[in-house]
Amino acid sequence: MKKYAMVIDSSVCIDCKACMASCKVQNNVPRGYWRNWIKHTIPDFSKGPLTRTHFQPGGCMQCDNPTCVQACPSGATYKDPQNGIVHVNEALCIGCGNCIKACPYDARFRHPDKRVPDKCDFCFSSGRLERGLLPACVDTCPTKARVFGDLSDPDSDVSRLLRDKPAVRVLAKGGIDTKPNMYYVAATAPTDWAGEVEFPGAFTVMATLVNPVVKVAVGLSALGVAVMWAKQIFSPDKEESEHESSAPGKD
Amino acid sequence: MKPATDSSTREHGMKTEAKTLSRRGFLQASAAVAATAAGVPALKGYVSSAHAAGVAQQAPITSHYTVCDMCFNRCGMIAQVQNGRVVKLDPNPKFLKSRGMLCARGNAAVEHLYDPDRLKTPLLRKGARGEGKWQQLTWEQALDHTAEQFTRIAEKYTRCGVMFSPGSDMQSQFLNRFAEVFGSYNITSHETLCLLSKNRAYLDTFGETPYADVLYSKYIIIAGANPLEAIITPDTIDLMEARKNGCKIVVLDPRYTKTAALADEWFAIRPGTDMAFFLALTSVITEERLYDPDFAEKMLFGLDEYAAHVRQYTPEWAAGECGIPAQDIRRIAREIAAAAPASMIYPGRRSSDYEDSTQIRRSMAIANALLSNWDRPGGVLAAREVGVRAPYFDVPWYDDNPADRIDHGMAPGLIHHEGSFKLMRDAIIKGEPYPIRGWFTFKTNFMQTAANRNKTLEMLNHLDFVVNADIVMSDTAWYSDLVLPSPSFLERNDPVSALQGSSACACAVWRDAVVPAMYECRDMLWICTELSKRLGFPESFDFTLDEYRKSQLESIPEAFEAIKADGVYYNPSKVYGIYFDSPLKTQAQKIELFNQRYAHEGLDPMPVYKAPRRKEGAFRLVVGRTAFFTHSNTNNALLIEFKDENTLWMHPRPAAKLGLKDGEMVEVESSAGKVALALRLFEGMEEETVYMATGFGALSPELRLVHNRGASIAEVLEDHSDFISGNMAMHETLVTVTRRVG
Repeated sequence: MKKYAMVIDSSVCIDCKACMASCKVQNNVPRGYWRNWIKHTIPDFSKGPLTRTHFQPGGCMQCDNPTCVQACPSGATYKDPQNGIVHVNEALCIGCGNCIKACPYDARFRHPDKRVPDKCDFCFSSGRLERGLLPACVDTCPTKARVFGDLSDPDSDVSRLLRDKPAVRVLAKGGIDTKPNMYYVAATAPTDWAGEVEFPGAFTVMATLVNPVVKVAVGLSALGVAVMWAKQIFSPDKEESEHESSAPGKD
Repeated sequence: MKPATDSSTREHGMKTEAKTLSRRGFLQASAAVAATAAGVPALKGYVSSAHAAGVAQQAPITSHYTVCDMCFNRCGMIAQVQNGRVVKLDPNPKFLKSRGMLCARGNAAVEHLYDPDRLKTPLLRKGARGEGKWQQLTWEQALDHTAEQFTRIAEKYTRCGVMFSPGSDMQSQFLNRFAEVFGSYNITSHETLCLLSKNRAYLDTFGETPYADVLYSKYIIIAGANPLEAIITPDTIDLMEARKNGCKIVVLDPRYTKTAALADEWFAIRPGTDMAFFLALTSVITEERLYDPDFAEKMLFGLDEYAAHVRQYTPEWAAGECGIPAQDIRRIAREIAAAAPASMIYPGRRSSDYEDSTQIRRSMAIANALLSNWDRPGGVLAAREVGVRAPYFDVPWYDDNPADRIDHGMAPGLIHHEGSFKLMRDAIIKGEPYPIRGWFTFKTNFMQTAANRNKTLEMLNHLDFVVNADIVMSDTAWYSDLVLPSPSFLERNDPVSALQGSSACACAVWRDAVVPAMYECRDMLWICTELSKRLGFPESFDFTLDEYRKSQLESIPEAFEAIKADGVYYNPSKVYGIYFDSPLKTQAQKIELFNQRYAHEGLDPMPVYKAPRRKEGAFRLVVGRTAFFTHSNTNNALLIEFKDENTLWMHPRPAAKLGLKDGEMVEVESSAGKVALALRLFEGMEEETVYMATGFGALSPELRLVHNRGASIAEVLEDHSDFISGNMAMHETLVTVTRRVG
């Protein structure tokens, strides 16, 4: 049983965007969308020569308490017990978009062609892990700010880093701890950018109570399908990219 | 094989692959990940073996070593090919110069290869230049036409009547060879818009061009450089590693670059005043005798003269010029001297800034000399031995040729094999000392990168025949008479290239095609070979690429196997103390604080400060780039997502005085031209300075992503040049900024 995680030393991130470009090519992420990002602090120029900016790479945090999984009515979104990766089974997805709202990190987007959620899976579905390659963003990073590995292996780089250095996690607002598996070596910034978990009203109770098998059944029921299809057809796509820092740059 | 150009094909391929993964296969591989992640950096070792082995999928992925060409660094990469298409480019973990990384541009080379805007056949201009009317030609016709034109020009105006501009490319050595055998001295390249001032300054101080040993440095001042965005390997990566090891980084830049954003200290220095800072810094070091007296005795020439010379340049004086407080200058001088010899003034790369750039960079080089860091760990290093030799060729003599290059004698420190594009362009327009009527450009785009585009257009009016080889219809191609489609770096075999990476490595690489050349693209070796047959010197190109490589590697035959096995050969040559027991290649055979040749030629033998021009109500325009683009190579579907047009950066205070608001369209006007682009108010600007990124506002409609987007630096920059080296001076333009009306 593995538990894949990322430990990020954001102090060495130079905001070069190599991770975003590498991910986009490896995973065929459509134009205007990103599976990962680099956030940054706003420099305070009143500090004069000591003005600094901190850049912070990120992506899906493959949470242990994944609110996206809880919000999914069809069981399409699930946490892989073998490795901890949160996957989307596109064949089961009914396109309701609940998982996108339930992620406090904005780590998911609706794929504009496939009409299903898309997100980072540590490059699992691209086949990189199977071929013994690191996730594309980790492999390419010039300063090796992103470190990937198995937390259940005490000798892995991620385990070692977490032992050696104090780490912090970016947590959702509003009291729900999604137990993210993305750790930042301390003194990262910004840390207050995550939003609140937003569960769809009708599903809140059900999603937490009903077991996954029932969820599949419910999701595929005629009513559910009809409602969700209607929702998918009439609800407009979220405008543009999910992340300020990832929007096309006019700068 | 006819490769598809529609990017959706690639997506489908990958989707299929994703769904056929078996659980068992994944677990096996996961074990590999876990095993190799232990202890050693995961990057080393298992990645390459996995690449080499490949894993059988529905459509197998094969891995191929190559070397990136998205900028000049040439980082080692591994191309993954599936169904005859390049699906992913990864860093070669064994490539020490780039520390096993690939930047955004390298990753986006897939879009470069499959760019729908690529040139596909030879094209002959039919209408007026720039009108965009083209006739498709066969290669036979295109080569015949080129040979005819070159022959006609040679007969009427001598062979020097054709100018050659080989860009930064592993095959440019073939065009250089071709130009020399053809008989033209008039060769100039992108370097004359870039690093010549810095090279000149270090050649005239140390007798060598410098390599910065960033990794082992404890204190670095970066001025006139932005290495965290203008990526240079291994320096960019090593800067962050050095910081982890406690190296202090001080940045002087009128703009808050990402290098400034990650430095320990950033000073928004007034543009054009760097020399004032370094003269004051060295005045503190000499006055307080903070240098190593033994090193000074043995290695420095003219220390007493220099110490006397800089006595006038006190920190208090410099503060008034550069805006950095005197106590900071004094403190930094003491700090960096205390860290010497493992401390440095970062030499930088592009130094095409000011009319005095050679002297400005000399003031930095002299500061390095006083830190006694030459040829030592953490300092400024000489070139190492790589062992790749330049194959010999005969250069014929043509009696009717003029005595020298067209720009000969126009700048006292012209670097002979590069010349000065700016001075050549002026000479061509004047027709003096002799006419040039033809131009062969390869993979270089002076229309977008050289200051004063209107003058480049004027120069074209004096040329009868312009032929351009490139991968896309650049602005220069758009104004050419004949356009030749080049293969991308992933589609061709290239000769051996020697690379330097300070203490990281001295290495050799080559490229073998990862996929076959698409369309009717032909590489420069083939073009030169075919033209040499038509122009009567086939014996100069009577070799195959393999034979050429053999000749290059004659003294290091072991490199063949290394490059095949790892994609790179390392020469374990001496890193430090190269000049330990041999004299420097300067006139004094020591480090010249006082340059005797300069004195002899009537130049200042030691840097003398000249205050930059200022004009009431005008801003100094500085230019630069991001980590996502190299110069004018902006027409990339992936990279354009990071930045889809450039803006004019200005501090909010002067903007408020002018009544200008963030985001509105402004006109930027100089004596060279006027451009319009959106204004970006940014507190990280020195208040007399405005900034524009290079590579936008393309004239060519066939660069669909950047045509008329933002504005071109080439259109608004005035064409000043460095007095000594003739290098273009791109930061000498004063502009007015006004709201665009209508």
